[in-house]
Amino acid sequence: MFPNKNPAPAGAVSPPNRQMLRRCAVLAALFGILLFVLLLARLFQLQILEHERYERLAMEQQLRDAPTAAARGRICDTDGNPLAVSASVDNVYLSPAEIQAYGEDPALIAQGLAEILGLDERELLQKCTQTGSWYVTVARKLEREQADEIRAFKNEYGLRGVRLETDTRRYYPNSSLACHLIGFVGTDNYGLEGIEARYDSVLAGTAGRTRRMTNAFGTDLLFEQFESFEPGQDGCDVITTLDTTIQYYVEKHLRQAVADYDIQNGAGAIAMNVKTGAILAMASLDDYDLNRFLEVGAQAQARIDAAQSEEERQELLRSAQIRQWRNKALSDTYEPGSTFKIITLAMALEEGAVSESSSFFCPGSVSVKGRSSPIRCWKDGGHGSQNLTQAVQHSCNAAFVNIGLRVGAERFYDYCEAFGFLEKTGDADENLTAVTGIDLSGESGSIWWSENTFCSPRNLSQLAAASFGQTFTITPLQLITAVSACVNGGYLMQPYVVQRIVNPDGTTASERQPTLRRQVISEETSARVRTILEQVVGDAKEGTGRNAAVAGYRIGGKTGTSEKVSLEAQTGVKQYIVSFLGFAPADDPKIAVLVFLDTPSNASGVYVSGGQMAAPVVGNMMADILPYLGVEPVLSEEEAARIDVQTPLLTGLSLTEAAGRVRDAQLRYRSIGSGDTVTDQLPAAGQSIARGTEIILYLGAEPSQDTEILPDLTGMDYEQARDTLSYYGLYLRTASPVGAAGEQKVGGQSVAAGTALDHGSVITVTLIDSDETMLGIY
Amino acid sequence: MRYDGARLADFSAAATDEGRGRMDLSFLLLVLGLLGTGVLMVLSSSFPRAYYDPGRVTGGNAAYYFVRQLLFAGLGVGVMLLASRLPMGFYRRYAFPFLILTAVLLALVPLIGVKANGSRRWLGVGGLTLQPSELAKLAVILSFSVLICRYRERMKTIRYGLLPFLGILGALVGLLVLEPHFSASVILLAVGAVMLFLGGVGVGWFAAAFAAAGTGLAVLLTFFPYASSRIMTWRDPFSSSSDEGYQIVQSLYTIGSGGLSGLGFGGSRQKYLFLPEEHNDFIFSVCCEELGFIGAALILSLFALLILRGYWIALHCRSRFSFLVCAGITTLLAVQIFFNVAVATNLLPCTGISLPFFSYGGTALLIQLGEMGIVLSASRDVLET
Repeated sequence: MFPNKNPAPAGAVSPPNRQMLRRCAVLAALFGILLFVLLLARLFQLQILEHERYERLAMEQQLRDAPTAAARGRICDTDGNPLAVSASVDNVYLSPAEIQAYGEDPALIAQGLAEILGLDERELLQKCTQTGSWYVTVARKLEREQADEIRAFKNEYGLRGVRLETDTRRYYPNSSLACHLIGFVGTDNYGLEGIEARYDSVLAGTAGRTRRMTNAFGTDLLFEQFESFEPGQDGCDVITTLDTTIQYYVEKHLRQAVADYDIQNGAGAIAMNVKTGAILAMASLDDYDLNRFLEVGAQAQARIDAAQSEEERQELLRSAQIRQWRNKALSDTYEPGSTFKIITLAMALEEGAVSESSSFFCPGSVSVKGRSSPIRCWKDGGHGSQNLTQAVQHSCNAAFVNIGLRVGAERFYDYCEAFGFLEKTGDADENLTAVTGIDLSGESGSIWWSENTFCSPRNLSQLAAASFGQTFTITPLQLITAVSACVNGGYLMQPYVVQRIVNPDGTTASERQPTLRRQVISEETSARVRTILEQVVGDAKEGTGRNAAVAGYRIGGKTGTSEKVSLEAQTGVKQYIVSFLGFAPADDPKIAVLVFLDTPSNASGVYVSGGQMAAPVVGNMMADILPYLGVEPVLSEEEAARIDVQTPLLTGLSLTEAAGRVRDAQLRYRSIGSGDTVTDQLPAAGQSIARGTEIILYLGAEPSQDTEILPDLTGMDYEQARDTLSYYGLYLRTASPVGAAGEQKVGGQSVAAGTALDHGSVITVTLIDSDETMLGIY
Repeated sequence: MRYDGARLADFSAAATDEGRGRMDLSFLLLVLGLLGTGVLMVLSSSFPRAYYDPGRVTGGNAAYYFVRQLLFAGLGVGVMLLASRLPMGFYRRYAFPFLILTAVLLALVPLIGVKANGSRRWLGVGGLTLQPSELAKLAVILSFSVLICRYRERMKTIRYGLLPFLGILGALVGLLVLEPHFSASVILLAVGAVMLFLGGVGVGWFAAAFAAAGTGLAVLLTFFPYASSRIMTWRDPFSSSSDEGYQIVQSLYTIGSGGLSGLGFGGSRQKYLFLPEEHNDFIFSVCCEELGFIGAALILSLFALLILRGYWIALHCRSRFSFLVCAGITTLLAVQIFFNVAVATNLLPCTGISLPFFSYGGTALLIQLGEMGIVLSASRDVLET
């Protein structure tokens, strides 16, 4: 096999020759020393010189930075009642890499999760097999019950690829109440709207961090070798100025108005503490349930369902969501119309341009320099001769043009700045804007003509129209803030919604003090403004705001009906925003309320104007709010004779005795049955109902358990409505002063016509004065 | 064919250990020290993989690899002591039968071998696996030593000094290429070259061989994109740290993390499934991470001492055969250590070479310890100094 000539002698031991030894020594030097020196040098480079770099890179993959969620602070109303709270929930996710690594059965997992969560099994199966991924979300923010089911499922099969993590979910105990003010958070718990957005950094706190060593699967190490924990800081509670009760009243009546008048484009209302600028309530319709902020109203949903394409559906849904999330009281701008006359009045009185003894003559229209057509007053033929109070009561445009001209354009413009409607920039040719600076996001700014345009001596039309609230746009919030200044002694306050920020340990982090921006008019002027404005509501004969009157309370205010001028110019469609701004008590105001209704339907049966539509809404709100605020009603005998009465307890009495009590209570009765003793009564004792109502006394007969369909009372007069209801065993009450005004008709009812009601239910109606001669756009 | 006149009777004589000197104690202690350290490092580096068991091998038994390695280490020490008692004549006599057996096993591998990672490199025998390439390395050393002793002065000729050797090498490497097993081929060629160098082959041939290898490599890189992508990964592993470069990048993280004094025995973080082959080809990286530069340098120093002692024994051998076998085995050991550590530190492109006495692997350990036993056997006959 191999050449084998001249073999070595057998058994002879031949030592390695010199060359071999020499070469072996070379090898020893090379393999025993040189290469090891090379390796050591390399190790020195990696481990000593580049140690930090590699350690950092290794740490990046070894350490999992798990944020430990900070509890988001609560949002509370002024009494500390929670409006928004956070609770612990669970997110479920899959770790397909581990499902694969541990050989878990994707089909079993998909089926189990689909069953518990009601999800599509195929989709889940697909998620299970996204190998290489460590985190695939299955469901977020699960309630405890479902999360527990998943835990049980996970444990039963020892599934390591199905994982849960703690998250928080925001709950809004009052659903839609004050939704626009409170706002909501997105799935990642960032505030997206309202206080949640504006105070996000305060509410959110700072997440803690746990840095853990993990294995390459991202799961914990066998032994805790490395763990550092940076504690987070829980979020602070935010105590708002919002009063849940007032908010509830405001929303209730606003909602009723939207239904009664068939309001097309939503409505808004603001209730403000006149002295501090604190927002007590702020409502905007359409509204939405904060717990389901993505869901839109039934009407919008019906439109979406009817859409042809998916794209169109998405588009409709998006616009419906934006519409319902919009806080009209903060984000809408409008030409305020006659409510702005309060501002004109205040500045004119302060400047001495007019006084209570000034007289004005209204011929029905007034010509203005620079304007081609004369400005018409709302009343055909004019108001004739009036003093200042009457001019305000009548909401006379002609008189107010006159007043504005007496103030003069420069002074008028300066006052508008002082009242916070505009901010001068130094450029007299620039259109101006301003905001109130309220602590909410989404506030719009006003739009005003430039100083040079407004103050042009050749053209007074801007000034003339501005005197009665036209040709500029402002937000409802700006208006109520400025009017509050007019009636609170002249102090322009900065409106605010957050009263206090409370640390997680309960200590106060910061307390908001009312912010005075400036005093615009004197205390004395302010008192005169109050007196005049009280006559707008209190004077049952001449006041255009008399539908806002509440028996026993002194309320001041002003109506407003503004035509959307630019809309009409563009489309020819006439649309109105009707509004009313009231404050009470008139002598020492605590609260101001502004209600505006955007585009009432002409077909509601109620004349479209602030006085007819918005004033009763504010009156209803005041009727609820003022007793709640502890304002005692002071009733004159005349007024006392008009208000509702309490039903006495009659059950168990003899018929004669009961009849006497009914008479004493200024009620009437009819009896059913033939006994001598009253066995039951309708309505029950202690109900507040209209004076003179005919109640039912049961003499042994069983009261009917049927329900009745509520008739439409709109347009009936007071007695007619009362008697129609009592015929059905339903009862009526009202907050409006009954019979104080000329001819009163039912303008709205607390429960919609056609609703089935139990016998004995009490319906609240709003009475409005429908004196033909007083109907007008004011 | 004759095998230097040794007879089977010598075996029994050797078994009784008559008339021979004591084995080299320093060499033995170095081997045992390294082996002990290696087994402990298998325990430390392997338990996360054994525990998490992503490959579904261990059933979650964290000590799985350690216990098996310990068992083989014990067995291996027995093999080593046995091998140290056999006379050198025994190895000389059975060098060629062993070579033939190895060639047969190698030939079987492509046919019935166990497939893993696209290559057949193992023969499975009742739950045990054997890499015949490990045997081939020893077979080359033994058979070359026999032939070099036989040809003596004729080693300078092509006919005697080159052709028979290249024939053996060519056949074995050819079989390895079939698997394919690149790293074993390289080691085999390196060891073969060293044996020829020791045997007295002219230096010019080596120069020519290096030139040829260089050219071949250049051609390979030009025409085989796979090979050149290997080189790219080697030059800049971070550019492909999630696929081709993953192993080496993780190894660099592991080594670099250790710093001067390391994270302490058992303290590796990279072994938690970040570093692949952490108890195998990359076990030295874990040593670096846990024991630091100091520990790693200590281990390398022990290896260096072992190598130097091996050459020392070779240089003091009375017989040319013993000299060649000792020097060959020592060189094989050194080459494997160097390749392993050089790959782990990215001095050389990534390829699978295990670290003697450290890397997990039972039969390889047995063979390595057997080789140490042969050196120890030779050390019994050294010149007294």
